Amino acid sequence: MSRLIAGRAAGLLGVLAALTLAVFMIKAVLPADPVRASIGARATEAQVKAKKAELGYDKPLVTQYVNFVGDVVKGDLGDSLRTRRPVTKDIGRFLPATAELAFVAALLAGGLGLVLGITSARGGRIAGATRTVMLALASAPTFCLALLAILLFYRKLNWLPSAGRITRKLTPPERTRFLLVDTLLAGDFTAFVDVVKHLIMPSLCLAIGPAVAIGRVLRGSLLDVLRQDHTRTARSKGLSQRAVLVRHALRNALGPTLSMTGLQIGLLLSGVVVVELVFAWPGLGLYTTQAIQNADFPAVIGITLVMGTAYVLINAIVDVLQVVADPRLKTAGAR
Amino acid sequence: MMTTTDVNGDAIVVPTEPSGPRAVASVRDLNVTLHARDGAVKALRGVSLDIAPGEIVALVGESGSGKSVLGASLLGLLPATARPDVTGSVTVAGHDMVRSSDKELRRVRKHLLGAVFQDPLTSLNPTMRIGRQLVERTDGLPRALKRMAEAGLPEPESRVRQFPHQLSGGLRQRVMIAMALGGDGRIDGEGPPDLPKDSAIDVSYDDEGAPRLVIADEPTTALDVSVQAQIVLLFDRIRREHGCAVLLVTHDLGVAASVADRIAVMYAGRLCEVGPAADVLAHPSHPYTKALLAARLSMDGLRTDSNPLPGDPPNPMKPLPGCAFAPRCAYAEASCSETLPEMGERPTGVGAVACFHPVTPDDAVPVTLRTAPPERPVERTTSEAPPALVLDKVSMSFASPGAGRRSMRLRLKAVQAVSLTVPARGSVALVGESGCGKTTTLRMAAGLSKPESGSATWAEGAGRPQLVFQDASSSLTPWISVLGQVEERFRHRGVPRGEQRDRAIEVLQRVGLDERAGRSRPRELSGGQRQRAVIARALASDPSLLICDEPVSALDASLVVRVLDLLEELRDQLGVALLVVTHDLAAARRIADTVAVMYLGRIVEQAPVDELFRAPKHPYTQGLIAANPTTEPGRLAPTLSGEPPSAVVELVGCPFAARCPLTVDRCRIETPRLRELDGGRHVACHLVDAQPHRGLGS
Repeated sequence: MSRLIAGRAAGLLGVLAALTLAVFMIKAVLPADPVRASIGARATEAQVKAKKAELGYDKPLVTQYVNFVGDVVKGDLGDSLRTRRPVTKDIGRFLPATAELAFVAALLAGGLGLVLGITSARGGRIAGATRTVMLALASAPTFCLALLAILLFYRKLNWLPSAGRITRKLTPPERTRFLLVDTLLAGDFTAFVDVVKHLIMPSLCLAIGPAVAIGRVLRGSLLDVLRQDHTRTARSKGLSQRAVLVRHALRNALGPTLSMTGLQIGLLLSGVVVVELVFAWPGLGLYTTQAIQNADFPAVIGITLVMGTAYVLINAIVDVLQVVADPRLKTAGAR
Repeated sequence: MMTTTDVNGDAIVVPTEPSGPRAVASVRDLNVTLHARDGAVKALRGVSLDIAPGEIVALVGESGSGKSVLGASLLGLLPATARPDVTGSVTVAGHDMVRSSDKELRRVRKHLLGAVFQDPLTSLNPTMRIGRQLVERTDGLPRALKRMAEAGLPEPESRVRQFPHQLSGGLRQRVMIAMALGGDGRIDGEGPPDLPKDSAIDVSYDDEGAPRLVIADEPTTALDVSVQAQIVLLFDRIRREHGCAVLLVTHDLGVAASVADRIAVMYAGRLCEVGPAADVLAHPSHPYTKALLAARLSMDGLRTDSNPLPGDPPNPMKPLPGCAFAPRCAYAEASCSETLPEMGERPTGVGAVACFHPVTPDDAVPVTLRTAPPERPVERTTSEAPPALVLDKVSMSFASPGAGRRSMRLRLKAVQAVSLTVPARGSVALVGESGCGKTTTLRMAAGLSKPESGSATWAEGAGRPQLVFQDASSSLTPWISVLGQVEERFRHRGVPRGEQRDRAIEVLQRVGLDERAGRSRPRELSGGQRQRAVIARALASDPSLLICDEPVSALDASLVVRVLDLLEELRDQLGVALLVVTHDLAAARRIADTVAVMYLGRIVEQAPVDELFRAPKHPYTQGLIAANPTTEPGRLAPTLSGEPPSAVVELVGCPFAARCPLTVDRCRIETPRLRELDGGRHVACHLVDAQPHRGLGS
């Protein structure tokens, strides 16, 4: 197991190296001019030259890349050309909002997927109807779903807020920047409920697609497992259908489901950008959009590294969970 | 109860049809229809059977006869997806297994029934520790540990932490048996009924309670011969110690013969003969039983009529109006095909048979003649042609599974310096239990993997050796017709387009498949036909050597003889040499000129076939031959104890020493070399009298 984790960590480093190179290359070949973007189109030649030297853009590409990697290792991603603050600081400010949203959405996706998979494997009319509704929801584009949700639950019913993470006056003292945690630490239950209300629409919009995908894979592999000999053994012991399904079949059906979950949560990270825009969620998604529009390369590179790390981490966790779920992989995986 | 005599003339008392409240399980006029996509299968058609407490009833039949459906009916576990239609009744200890609620059925399964299935690896949950799987059944660890010990699992306390894949096949099946024994035999505090005082079977209940009936569906089919004998013995023990009856569903009359009190033979969803085991085996009165006995390959070297069971089983979707066996029966008259025969008394006076013309014990017309095999033409083995295959001291090892860096891990020595020659037109069988390295040797012989040391050479100029695998259905491409698959081979060989089809049809005819069968997809064919198709496809490449991996072990008894005869015929007519890898000694005896016995990656004995079976020299060969079930009633096969050790450990001394009944000190110190004895025999054993060595030096 520790070997597996070590292997994954090494893999993570490799992916990050590749990512920095890719991002750096894009920066080098892109026609957008970060210097101009930073000091404005009307700056004089001399001003541009000075800024170039200041940012290190006058050195050969290889030197630039070596310097760049050195800085990244030191935790210095440079200053954002737009906000003029260090990128790490910016990310530190916006990441918690996004992480909170993505985490809740991932939990919802997993939970809904599990329920959907199990109920539809058991069959029946209700399961069929749920599946149809979920599938319909998942096939709508996320932004469309988000707008419809706002129309219904904000405009029409006024049950849920449509924008932001929290009602401003309830904002708790800043500790972890995860508002669910901060409001609880502050002991402010009203604020906590307010945060939850703000989370419901954006996280559901993010979760529904992945949930349907996860549910479908789980259903398929559950039905496969239920056809296997050992579930007949479980039945011959006098276990109920539910015990057979939950105690025996579920763990055996997890393998493909976990793979799908990892991929879907990775995709969910990119879905965050759209959802944050629609719900005016003050997170990395908004920051990304603005960075791209302004050719803010240090910011784009920083975001890419963070997202890439998250993606690789999620899939590494999935790999470890696979081994936990199926003890046979422990020996086979080491081969 | 009645008295009869067994084959030795000793008087034995056997239960006849136990009935009424006495029977632990009672099946009455049971009809089960299962629905598949392409139609309704009449799986059971009017079956009645009672099982007495503590009795072992063997339910014998070929695949598709309905025997497993009867087992599932007793468990109340007919597959729901097949939407079964059931009429008639099934009761277990007075509980209705057909019409009861799901909840009631579950209670009966939990307390009164036990089940053991064919493949213990797939029948245990791979992701749950053995202890938890057992405790689900026994409701408590102490009882689980006790049952494990009774099922012959060594060190039960440490086993409960293990997962099924960490155990050997034999131990896994013991876990299944421990689990089957986990029920307590009591529903709502109601205890077991009194045992019949006049029972011939010496049984007693234990205080803890045990299930009343264990359904064992082909429990030994997936196991090695030596382990099979141990498991069969275990069934006899558990019914004596716990008083539970056993329904032993099997295709092998040999397994049935060794422990069953009664044998029930099924054919096409109906029972055709039920009676005391000894009597049924000695005087089969249904022609089907008789043919089934005759079709069984035996180890005595006598050859049965090549086709005691001609034709194929009937289509279960369209049952015949009369006796289902009539089209294949030597005794049948026209009237047999019109009315269904009902159960009547067997000619010997015990048991029952469903036949209009039952075979009487003194029937003058034997169905089959068992004759000594014809002398093989000498020129075949002393052929001048270069050998089809020479393996010269081939070895192969694998990194053993487990933690740690690959280079640091132990090497699993799968094959160690094996030398084997298959002469042109010759036939060699490589026999051994699972894990002995026979499949690794086969891969090297086929050129699929390169030996680490040593060499494999084939006859020059001939086509590549072709492989025939055990599972014909998975080695054929499902969406291409058989004809198409054979044609493809000719296309690869560069046969002109116009000739491909004719050549393919010709090859199919040679293996006994007509053009209509050739145009079918593999799944539309029967098991025997599929195996023929695989052989035909292999022949299309014009090989000089056909390598067969367990070619008959997935086939019914009646088909085994036919496929082996086909292989022999091809050898005679086409001059193709055979290398047959099998665990089935009887099949090896039938097909091979020379037999090599492997144990832990080494050949321990090799000899001409008749020599080997007449007087096996190596204790392992002797044990294997003795463990093979025969149809001698009540002969509990003497067993080889234990299972082969792991090939990881670098053994000092003889690899067989740990299981050998004759081991002396020298065996533990010095590894015996394969020595040549008289008559072309090679043995690796210190205890075999050494003939004067006549090797190269003298």
